[in-house]
Amino acid sequence: MVQFNNETREIAVKVVYYGPALSGKTTNLQALFQQIDPKVRGRLMTLDTKDDRTLFFDMMPVFFKTAAGVKVKLKLYTVPGQVMHESTRRIVLQGTDAVAFVADCRRSEAASTLAYWNNMLKNLEANGLDYRTLPIVIQMNKQDLPEARTEGELGDLRAVISPVVIPAVATRGEGVLETLHAVLQLCYRSLDARVGLEKKWRISEREFLDAIFSHVAMKGTTAGTAK
Amino acid sequence: MSLPPSVLQAQVSLGDLLDLKSFTEVCQSFAELYRVGLKVFDATGNKLVDVKVGNADFCGYIWQKPDGRSQCIATVGRVKSDEVAEEATPTIFDCFSGCRYAVQPVMYEGDVIGRIVFGPFVPEDLVSLPATLTSISSDFDERLATGYQQKIRRVSQPTAEKIIKHFGDLLDVLVFTGHKNLLTARLHIEAVQESYRELQEKNRQIEESYSALKELDRLKSNFLATMSHELRTPLTSVIGYSEMMLEGLGGPLTAEQREYLGIIMEKGESLLQLITSILDISKIDAGRVRLVISEVDVGQVMRDAVATVMPLARKKGLKVMWEPSPMPRVYCDREKVRQCLINLVNNAVKFTPAGGQVVLEARPVPGDRIGLVVTDTGIGIGSDHLPRVFDVFYQVDSSSTREYGGAGLGLAIVKSYIEAHGGEVKVESVVGRGTTFTVVLPLRAAAAAVAAPGASQAATG
Repeated sequence: MVQFNNETREIAVKVVYYGPALSGKTTNLQALFQQIDPKVRGRLMTLDTKDDRTLFFDMMPVFFKTAAGVKVKLKLYTVPGQVMHESTRRIVLQGTDAVAFVADCRRSEAASTLAYWNNMLKNLEANGLDYRTLPIVIQMNKQDLPEARTEGELGDLRAVISPVVIPAVATRGEGVLETLHAVLQLCYRSLDARVGLEKKWRISEREFLDAIFSHVAMKGTTAGTAK
Repeated sequence: MSLPPSVLQAQVSLGDLLDLKSFTEVCQSFAELYRVGLKVFDATGNKLVDVKVGNADFCGYIWQKPDGRSQCIATVGRVKSDEVAEEATPTIFDCFSGCRYAVQPVMYEGDVIGRIVFGPFVPEDLVSLPATLTSISSDFDERLATGYQQKIRRVSQPTAEKIIKHFGDLLDVLVFTGHKNLLTARLHIEAVQESYRELQEKNRQIEESYSALKELDRLKSNFLATMSHELRTPLTSVIGYSEMMLEGLGGPLTAEQREYLGIIMEKGESLLQLITSILDISKIDAGRVRLVISEVDVGQVMRDAVATVMPLARKKGLKVMWEPSPMPRVYCDREKVRQCLINLVNNAVKFTPAGGQVVLEARPVPGDRIGLVVTDTGIGIGSDHLPRVFDVFYQVDSSSTREYGGAGLGLAIVKSYIEAHGGEVKVESVVGRGTTFTVVLPLRAAAAAVAAPGASQAATG
């Protein structure tokens, strides 16, 4: 859950990249690490267990100060994709403010994508998070591969809720910033509605997004970042 | 339901991210290399490391003077707590003694989690001791102080800034690595705890459905027991009135009527027997069997059993032999043991073709037990069926056209009753040659039944 500290004028926001193994969650964070100005981001931390090559999860902090002197601390996480790390996925989801669901868009992956999607909804619930109101964006990754599903073929993922869908090729950095932008925009709006970012903290949506996206290296992104 | 707070949600503190002992060693070797003191504080002002190099005599001398002491405390306070810019660049603090400190915050993920204090060092451009120092006391010895000050390293400000920047970069890596290791270790533990919690939850659900099933099973057995009782009552009347008619109480009968009534009675009896077996097994299932233990003459019980099956055996043309032998007194439930023997001998007769023989004998078994053995020369039981013959409703031949009748309850009842006594039933068989059932009973059943946990289900219900 977003943490507000009135005394130190700080806001801490958490965004989780969720999805099946090998869908491209870490690739997203790596691309963001490359493209976001080092002034507003920290190191990309990749937790792995050395013995069995199992990727545990990644974390990257992004932070900036608003004109009104509020420190905004944003943490981006990925969850471990392997089935066996179910409990870690649940722990990482704890208190998240928004989710980017990274899906492998190939038809052959549709079944496992749906399984992880449902599993995520279940884990959100286990954390006391309401997926009907939580900002969630689906990234349909690997658009460059044959067999890619079109937007019309996503009925299975949209059965319960109907999130924003962003096409991407994370390995080329395409759609990565768009995904983060969409997630943060929804996240800002949901936080603003709940705690008045604009009125109480004097942070406009534009300032919130510009702090991160005004200094990105545009290499590899599709034209027109802001939607 | 919600998870306990994870380490991912926790604020990091500098002390938690570093191994203080080895970090102190790093600081010592760093301070020795540059010959300048070094202090590291966490965000709340706790001193984590304090390495002094060269300034002990100089500062010690100043500390002896009351004015020097108070100004020293004030300087140290400023260096430790005065606000500095929240970025990884050094700020210079002047000491009244002419020395200097370089201070740099420790930044991590945009937060200040501590500060590095580098110094005191003597600025390169300092020519003589400043008036702020020499005036702290009337008896201030400038020559002595200058001598002491020479033990402190002279550093130019740009060099000092470079050195502290270098140390800041080093600490940044240590902090990042420390945080990474902390998260890896703690998250592994949290993941195990979470998996365990999940497993506990599933176990609880399984246990709940198990007890729900057990309750259903008990209800089923209750229902069976009640039904059997309700079936028996009218059946007793059917048999009773048939018997009365046969005895002529309802007037004279023709030969045909007598024959028909005979059949009604016979079928009624076998139906009654079947219902009685079902009642027995449902009582066993519901755990409602109680043993009535008394001193029993097992020889007599064996005689009874043989006498009961004798008419059927004669009809089939079988020899039934009972071998009397001197027998010890046995404490058991007479009725239940009698029923077991009748069931076994009855089975033996049922499955032995004409001309065969059935032998019932008793022999002592070590451990204060007695074995009652029923041997026949019947059709035998295949080895694949042997382990299951004691299961309720199990039939070796379960086809609809089977040759031998029965509900498949007899052996299940025998096993339950004997085990309730703390005894056991064994079976050996060769197909086509015959079968031997051995009932082993303890001589004192009451004591055995308490001692044998396997018998508890039937015995304690």
